[in-house]
Amino acid sequence: MTAFVYGVGSSRYAKQPHLSAGDLVAEAVLEAFGDAAVDTVDAVWVGTVFGATGVAQRALHRIGVTDVPVITVENACASGTTALHEARAAVLTGRYERVLVVGVETMTAEFDGAIHPEQTDAEGRQGLAFPGLYALAAARYLHEGYATPEQLAQVAVKNHRHGLGNPRAQYGGEITVEEVLGSRPIADPLTLLQCCPISDAAAAAILGPERGQARDVAIRASAMRSGGLWDHRSESVWGFDLVRETALQAFAEAGVGPEDVDVFEVHDAFTIGEIVTTEALGLAEVGGGGALVASGATTIGGATPVNPSGGLLARGHPLGCTGVAQAAEIVWQLRGEAGGRQVVDARLGVVETMGGGVSGIDGNACVVAVLGG
Amino acid sequence: MMGTRKASLTVPDPRPSVVEQGSVARVLGARCSSCGYPSAFAVPRCPACRAVVCPEAFGPGGTVWSVTTIRIPVPGRTPPYSLAYIDLDDGPRVLAHVSGGGSVEIGGRVQLVGPGADGDIEVESTE
Repeated sequence: MTAFVYGVGSSRYAKQPHLSAGDLVAEAVLEAFGDAAVDTVDAVWVGTVFGATGVAQRALHRIGVTDVPVITVENACASGTTALHEARAAVLTGRYERVLVVGVETMTAEFDGAIHPEQTDAEGRQGLAFPGLYALAAARYLHEGYATPEQLAQVAVKNHRHGLGNPRAQYGGEITVEEVLGSRPIADPLTLLQCCPISDAAAAAILGPERGQARDVAIRASAMRSGGLWDHRSESVWGFDLVRETALQAFAEAGVGPEDVDVFEVHDAFTIGEIVTTEALGLAEVGGGGALVASGATTIGGATPVNPSGGLLARGHPLGCTGVAQAAEIVWQLRGEAGGRQVVDARLGVVETMGGGVSGIDGNACVVAVLGG
Repeated sequence: MMGTRKASLTVPDPRPSVVEQGSVARVLGARCSSCGYPSAFAVPRCPACRAVVCPEAFGPGGTVWSVTTIRIPVPGRTPPYSLAYIDLDDGPRVLAHVSGGGSVEIGGRVQLVGPGADGDIEVESTE
């Protein structure tokens, strides 16, 4: 048995506080229904982090999605992919036949900049904002000689260039390494252009069993884990081990390796995140992720394009929406519908999302899914 | 409908406790009686092997694992401020503020300072 994505949809990814969560969800879900050529579902899984209580039901009843189970999950930045992972499991087990996955986040009405550190968390209470958490990893990488500041910046240069080809992306442009490194310092060594923006957006996908339609995209594997202890014994930077273990599990289920994958959408909330993640996924050795991006291999047209959508850095990072947005991008890529950012002959794609914010462990959750093939 | 939320957050302080013992500052945590795993908190049982833990104080010395300086506004904080992961000697890794606007380097030696007035863990360079 295999679960398939019948259709996907999304709003634009932007600072658009004039739109309600309901407006954004309606846009994404109605596009997904049209794309899937269906009109009803048997259940809904929703990923959101800061969504108001009932955010999904408040949105869905206005477009006639009522009377079915609606299940909302929170797994920090991996909330959307957690919803996808669970929806796929529901299809595989036969619990529900056709399932809607929604990711939604409205952030700009709530935050002026970086999301506030969680005051019930030991490190959050000490003022460790998310850019600081990733900056601590970046500083360690620079100290170890695993990457250079210029290589970090090249992730931003690449993903902003990719964003140019994505009409839904928040940002896109030709920027230089010098501009990235010269932008406003946020948390040393990370500068403004190395940090994802906050966004308001929704994305949706409709899943079900095989129905014999050529446009449907198989979810070949999906793995989800929460982190082990990250402590004085940890040689790896925060998150690396969790992504690596989750990826190994997903690749084993799919029966493929990273070398078989044509296109990746990964969690580049900060530049260092993409470098560490490409290493954890097996695209490079530890300490080789910086050279990988510098080589052009992860640019569209390279051997293993990463984040053709622009990634979180340029497409935007509406937390709970992001995982579904990544999956939608891979679906478009595998169908050949990605327009100016199309990866030629993409047949197998990977989505990776990483959620954090709980100190003491290696991550709240990571999801790695393998699509297509 | 939901009730009205309190205007200010009054949650229990989740940070490790820093105490002054003699002339030095230490973090009051716990160590596993079975595997020896050190925790910076009074954990109910060992996070690594689930065995019984005993209270233990860690520090004051430690080594910097990584450090950053936060330069953006964070509620209740005045940037810039530096935060470092410190591997306390034979103890846990803790996040600490670098005291008094000083600087520390990765691999450098530090000692706990404090307890700070506002409850943060603080360290200073001893090099």
